[in-house]
Amino acid sequence: MLKLEHIKKSFDGVNILNDLSLDIPNGEIVSILGPSGSGKTTLLNLILGMSDVDSGRIIFNNEDITHVPMEQRGFNIVFQDYALFPNLNAYENIIYGLQNKPNISSKEEVNELIHLLGLEKHLEKRIDQLSGGQKQRVALARTLVMKPQILLLDEPLSALDGVIKESIKERIKMIAKEYNLTTIIVTHDPEEALTLSDRVLIINEGQISQYGKPEDIMNQPSCDFVQDFILNQLEIKRRNIFALFHPMQEQMV
Amino acid sequence: MKKNFEIKAIYWFIIVLFACFLVLPLGSLLIQSFQSQGNFSFANYIQVIGEKGFLTALQNSFLVSGLSALITTFLAFMMAYAIHYTNIPLLLKKFMKNMTMLPMLLPTITYGFAIIYSFGKQGLWTKVFGHQLFDIYGMSGLLLGYVIYTLPIAFMLIHNAMEYIDKKFIIVSKLMDDNSFKTFVITLLKPMLGTLAAAFIQAFFLSFTDFGIPASVGGQFEVVASVLYNQMLGSIPNFANGAVVAMIMLLPSVLSIALLHYLERYNIRYNKISTIEFKKNALRDVFWSLIGLMINVFVLAIFMAIFIVPFIQMWPYDMSLTLNHVEAVLMDPALIGVIENSLIVAILTAITGTFVVYGAALAVARSSIHPKLKKVIETIALVTNTVPGMVIGIAYLLIFSGSPIQNTFVIIIVCNIVHFFSSPYLMMKNSLMKMNAGYETTARLMGDSWFKTILRVVTPNALSSLLEVFSYYFMNAMVTVSAVIFIAGARTMVMTTKIKELQHFAKFNEIFVLSIFIFIINFIAKGLFYYFTHRKKREKTK
Repeated sequence: MLKLEHIKKSFDGVNILNDLSLDIPNGEIVSILGPSGSGKTTLLNLILGMSDVDSGRIIFNNEDITHVPMEQRGFNIVFQDYALFPNLNAYENIIYGLQNKPNISSKEEVNELIHLLGLEKHLEKRIDQLSGGQKQRVALARTLVMKPQILLLDEPLSALDGVIKESIKERIKMIAKEYNLTTIIVTHDPEEALTLSDRVLIINEGQISQYGKPEDIMNQPSCDFVQDFILNQLEIKRRNIFALFHPMQEQMV
Repeated sequence: MKKNFEIKAIYWFIIVLFACFLVLPLGSLLIQSFQSQGNFSFANYIQVIGEKGFLTALQNSFLVSGLSALITTFLAFMMAYAIHYTNIPLLLKKFMKNMTMLPMLLPTITYGFAIIYSFGKQGLWTKVFGHQLFDIYGMSGLLLGYVIYTLPIAFMLIHNAMEYIDKKFIIVSKLMDDNSFKTFVITLLKPMLGTLAAAFIQAFFLSFTDFGIPASVGGQFEVVASVLYNQMLGSIPNFANGAVVAMIMLLPSVLSIALLHYLERYNIRYNKISTIEFKKNALRDVFWSLIGLMINVFVLAIFMAIFIVPFIQMWPYDMSLTLNHVEAVLMDPALIGVIENSLIVAILTAITGTFVVYGAALAVARSSIHPKLKKVIETIALVTNTVPGMVIGIAYLLIFSGSPIQNTFVIIIVCNIVHFFSSPYLMMKNSLMKMNAGYETTARLMGDSWFKTILRVVTPNALSSLLEVFSYYFMNAMVTVSAVIFIAGARTMVMTTKIKELQHFAKFNEIFVLSIFIFIINFIAKGLFYYFTHRKKREKTK
């Protein structure tokens, strides 16, 4: 279990996160959802250890890790732009971490990952020869080789289009289940958050608007913000899509 | 704190380096200029300015630099226009471009001697035409030399800027019923104004502070650079007055660079660069190729003398061909030693310079060091850009005379690194800034230490920029004369300073043979760098 207790963070006197507390159970997919400037990326960076909290505590499996440096926390991240190293090919990127920690994953485990993510055919390719979805999968594989305790994903779907988006979603779900891996995803897209995760954390202006299962959020929005910005957006989408499938029906309504 | 220890150490190393070899020397130069018999006074300034001829020299400098910058900017613009706005065959365009850049491979001091042997009383072209076309000593010789010297730099600036002009606006302008002149003004001249001004200022600055050209063809026409040289290394050296002249030379330099930075704001940036197909127009293409080639031919005509004179028995009296002069240089251990020295200095400058630049750029572009501390490095880059080589050389002469590094390669190498720091630093910084911000975090999460990240990820991806920095330092170290002339000792003499010395003895064959060596070395180096950069690119597209 990852526990955040009274987290505060400000930059240049501006409060970004204001007394934030929440628990994330092991093995769950949790999405952090909010508009830009809501503090969601800051929260991700704090969990990862890229930046330090001003006050409050971060506790992981009953251990206080507030002051543990990033590389010793055992968490890992896939950045929005993947940060794949262009001087190495896909395979060399995947096994990058093995040079430092040769025993962290066995050859079989790496191959299994490659198979799971459907990357067999792309291993020899240079990074700029890969499509967006392939890059995303290579970056996922590279991170999973390190067997992170928590996997952090920063806007994992925003650079992808259409069908690819759905297939990556499925892979993320599958991997979380397969490895019982706590996965924290930052996104600004309500549809993505609500269809991908076990729990959704909605934050706005540095504070939690609602934290709960997708169905709770759909059925019992906690405040106007959730209603206006999250649910209404989905409502408009739903109407548009329904209209596409049943033009006549929609007209009658 | 242990966090980021490595990059902090590198940062402070660079700060200390520039404190010792930039701030300290320039500071002491400033103090020296205000010191008279141990007291603070303006006496030196009053004396220098009151000296006969100084104000004339200053005036001359402004006049001839300004005029040559004007001509250079105009020529460079035409050349760039011919390349970007016509359908001249690609191969010819490449030829024109490379020919324009050619003078960069030679030191400026050689330009002057090339002019003498082209248009002087016994010059190549004087012989061909049967009479001297113009008097080369003084104004016209300087003009010619400065234009040749600054043309490649002005051309490069304008050429690059033209590449980033969105050519689609020509179509928009035409569709709006503009006439040709208006289209030219609105789609090219106006967007280029900032760059043209920058090219002018850069050409002015380079001419104003150059020492090599006045040293050879200045004649009785005194400019600030020759006054400065005579104060320091003339028959009666006067260091205090030299310091004053150096400070006065610094002033226009600082002003011109400040102006450059101010002008940068007015550069127009297009969101997107699109190319268009130019209409078929054979007349236009022929016209512009002739313009371009004429400029090329003119520059080549001047340099031709360098490659002919040393192979003639005794110019212009015994015109039989010979290799004697080349052999004589190759047999002369002193000259061979000088060639070796030059190579040592250039290679070591390139290696150490690349490390210094890389370290500085890493600290600024890829570390969490406090922005105010980063600003210090940015300021250093700005200052090194404004300080003329001669001023650095004199400052070093004043402060390091009698120190253990006097007359060593170390002082020359450090001087080159400091003098040429600005451009390669900016090049490196920009390239590192463009690199994905997540590399370090990702590598660290994969268990890399800082050094390992730099070694495994950042450096391989910065390789082509590093090569460019290396090449920039190498070439400039090969051709520079302005600063080294003051600090090269008898045992550390490099080719360019040797050329200056040979001038005293009127040994022009040796001068030209050495110049050819510099040219060949730079040419080979350029070829090698080109090969390595393109091999990398080829590998990528494989």
